[in-house]
Amino acid sequence: MDVSINGARILGSITIPGLGSFPITQTLTAALLVMVIITAVLAWLATGLKVSGISRKQAVAEMLYTAIVNFVRGNMGPNFDIYIPLVFAIFASSVVSNLISLLGIWSPTADLMTELAWGLVVFVLITYHKIKASGIKEYLRSFLDPIPVLLPINIMSECFTPVSMACRHFGNILSGTVISALVYAALVAGNNALFGILGSSLYVAAIVAVVGVALFLVGKKLGKKLFLVLGVIAAILGICAIFTCLGVDYPWLTIGIPAIPSLYFDWFGGCIQAFIFCTLTTLFIKQAAGD
Amino acid sequence: MDLYQSLVTVNPVTLIAQICNLFIQLFLAKKLFLDKVKAILDQRREAADKEITTAQAARAEAEEIKQTYEQNMREARAKADDLLMNAQRTANARSEEIIGQAQQAAAQIKQKAASDIEMEKKKAINDAKNEISGLALAIAGKVVARELNTADQEQMIDRFIDELGGAV
Repeated sequence: MDVSINGARILGSITIPGLGSFPITQTLTAALLVMVIITAVLAWLATGLKVSGISRKQAVAEMLYTAIVNFVRGNMGPNFDIYIPLVFAIFASSVVSNLISLLGIWSPTADLMTELAWGLVVFVLITYHKIKASGIKEYLRSFLDPIPVLLPINIMSECFTPVSMACRHFGNILSGTVISALVYAALVAGNNALFGILGSSLYVAAIVAVVGVALFLVGKKLGKKLFLVLGVIAAILGICAIFTCLGVDYPWLTIGIPAIPSLYFDWFGGCIQAFIFCTLTTLFIKQAAGD
Repeated sequence: MDLYQSLVTVNPVTLIAQICNLFIQLFLAKKLFLDKVKAILDQRREAADKEITTAQAARAEAEEIKQTYEQNMREARAKADDLLMNAQRTANARSEEIIGQAQQAAAQIKQKAASDIEMEKKKAINDAKNEISGLALAIAGKVVARELNTADQEQMIDRFIDELGGAV
């Protein structure tokens, strides 16, 4: 069977005079949705704040605020509080964008342009701080270090900072998407093969179901966990096969099982990539600003 | 059939829009969340600072009050001791005075009594003398039956009495 993994769906196009026509994609609508979600949650969290006798909601809001402030100060020192909103915005956008794919919505971070946008903003800040720290002359001269022949390589290394940041994040999210699609496709294929045999006749399905129930009962009586588990699996397969025989053609194996890789690729990967992106942002800016 | 972008593609519209989105998100998060929470945390810190300052001031004040109180107590105790001692001294002086007066009075009474007794004694002796002289005259008159002149009589009687007194 074919597995096709596409980019964002194109919803329309915009024509810019002199530059040509550009597609408007799902990324933008999803990004808007993400923004609305984040803003709504934050605005809700920040309502009814009190100095004393705080609610559970306010405790969460304060914890979130303290965490982001500690993160920025821990990575950059106390002189860069101005970047707290930026880091917070990137982190929140990244996490929500990564996790929104769990709801079946296109994840904006599965589009390289999203991460590249963030990376470019960070790149501008890095360059600003480098120039501010050493002066424009010194900054330009640093491209000739240690020998002038390395100029092209230095320029490339400078320009690839945002690209590498963007590609790291994008690659991880994309790998999750790709793995999920592959797992799903594999499960559909496996499902077809398995129920092609089991569901070939009602007798086979019924026998499998009965054997499963019997194994389950024996396992329960003897207290053996292996029998119990095997019995449950066989019984479920048998019942699904009976349904298949009766004409309900559904890829049964895709229920529940894709959640296992998703736990790593979507939840863990999504959160950790947001964290890494923000860590790199803070560290690069701090490094560029010197001490 | 839906149209899809290829997996990795450069789309300037998305790029610019996402940059704008980031800044909008930044602004919204700052205005709606970060600033508010920061304000509340600052307020709490200020309140806590104020509480601490107030508590310290109150403690200093209490310390001062305690010291004043202790000093007052000390003074009061000293004053009370003074008063007690004064009272004792006064009482002692007074009692001695009273005793002295009483002793004086008693001595006076005793003296007066002694002089009274003396006077009474003298009077009694004189009375007895007169009585005895009368009696003696009468007796002498009767016994001797002779008239004596008054001067001799008197002299005789006195001698008689003196002898009598000496005998007594």
